[in-house]
Amino acid sequence: MSRWRALLLVVTLLVGAGAEGWAHLQWPEDEVRAIRAHGPWPPPAPVDPSNRVSGDPAAIALGERLFNDARLSGAGTMSCASCHQAERNWSDGRARARGRAGLDRRTPSLWNVGQGHWFGWDGAADSLWAQSLRPIIDPLEMAGSTGHVAALLRGDPTLGCFYRRAFGTAPGSDDEALLVDAAKALAAFQETLVSPRTAFDDFRDALVAGDLAAAARYPAAAQRGLKIFMGAGNCNACHFGPRFTNGEFGDVGIPFFVRPGEVDSGRLGGLAKLMASPFNRLGPYSDDKSGASALRTRHVQRLHANFGEFRVPGLRQLGDTGPYMHNGHLATLQDVVRHYSKVSPDRLHSDGVPLVRPLGLSADDQADLVAFLRSLAADPPPRPPPLTECGAG
Amino acid sequence: MRRALAALLVATSASGWPLPAAADCPLDLGRGTGWVMFSERAIVAFRPEPLRIEVGQPFSLLLNVCTRRNDPAELVAVDAQMPDHRHGMNYRPTIVPAGQGRFRADGLVFHMPGRWELDIDVRAGSEVERLSHEIIVK
Repeated sequence: MSRWRALLLVVTLLVGAGAEGWAHLQWPEDEVRAIRAHGPWPPPAPVDPSNRVSGDPAAIALGERLFNDARLSGAGTMSCASCHQAERNWSDGRARARGRAGLDRRTPSLWNVGQGHWFGWDGAADSLWAQSLRPIIDPLEMAGSTGHVAALLRGDPTLGCFYRRAFGTAPGSDDEALLVDAAKALAAFQETLVSPRTAFDDFRDALVAGDLAAAARYPAAAQRGLKIFMGAGNCNACHFGPRFTNGEFGDVGIPFFVRPGEVDSGRLGGLAKLMASPFNRLGPYSDDKSGASALRTRHVQRLHANFGEFRVPGLRQLGDTGPYMHNGHLATLQDVVRHYSKVSPDRLHSDGVPLVRPLGLSADDQADLVAFLRSLAADPPPRPPPLTECGAG
Repeated sequence: MRRALAALLVATSASGWPLPAAADCPLDLGRGTGWVMFSERAIVAFRPEPLRIEVGQPFSLLLNVCTRRNDPAELVAVDAQMPDHRHGMNYRPTIVPAGQGRFRADGLVFHMPGRWELDIDVRAGSEVERLSHEIIVK
């Protein structure tokens, strides 16, 4: 091929890209403002005042070690990583989780979990460390015990060494305090699981900076999908902010019967568990003696409307984390979008302007919305290998 | 994000636009970034803390409550709802009196963008009166 013919081909490809993929829609000021609220990304590293080792490198190392240690479970066969698998976006690809027994809810992804304020699908925990503690001792999940975890920390020289580095003392004699410390180290590790920047973030930053040429590189289908997300869909009423979640709870019309005659009450039950838990931020194990970080816990109210509500998940790294919804009811992103397009208003019992209503999207609109959701994901960089020697690093 | 927009006084006097405030009712909280609400009996000046109300972020209100006749007045309750969607906040604020007609309401969270109606209940004597104010959070 001659140089001239090659140059002509390149020009043609660029023009083609401009027509098909490199385009920018009109973005009025109010839409730019709304898009701006979905960033910047990554956010500042979280610091949890209720966890004295939050952000501490030694605690992160201990936490990563514990996260992958099957000895935390009662039978010694299951670690946190058994369900929260790094290669599966920190989930397991199942519709419903399997612990020691089959469970009624899906394993949530851990991406960006450190940025939340309620944890678990029902928000039964108000800190990441309290949430991390729960599956260890839940007889249906890892089926470990307080004494078992404490004995492991005291008895294993390597874990004991990591513990000393993280907490400044050797593992003590108080079993429950050691369980909480293990959970706080697990939380410190999980706080580091921040999803990568995506094509959307480049678009958002370019649009905010007024760089329309850079913004135009964001695929046209994703841009059209974003218009639906913020416009007709009103998805950002709940999927708000940099993580695409307001961190609260909603009923989006997913069936809540788990078995005939048995329902998952969601947030209603979660709040009862939260208030009864000795491990909440109002309890003795919070390291925030000012109590300032317990503000939500002090003021949250349990309402009948909480029945059947589940935590609004963040939408980053969503592309390959299906099945979706709190119970894996929907297999693919296309199914999720179709659900919102056809959801029954009778099921939602809204007496005002409903937040969730059948959108009646065309096939093209649904494809655009899926394209937008997929643009919130990117390949994460490889993680550094975990420390194996206590003295290393 | 821009500061919450709010300029609409919902509670006004029966005679129309606000009656003059009581001479010794401090309205400093209502200046600048705050708001003042009037009713036939009550005057409430308030501002949020922090000054910018962010979606999903807890905030407090600093309030000054007066009556037009300078009778003792009490802040009874603070609540908020999204009238369009008929739902309230997921959190119940607590009120702490600070003396001299001042109060602090903690634990408010507007968990969605959009139009919120802030409801402030004031007791003067045996009467409890609700003053409402619209705030649009973006």
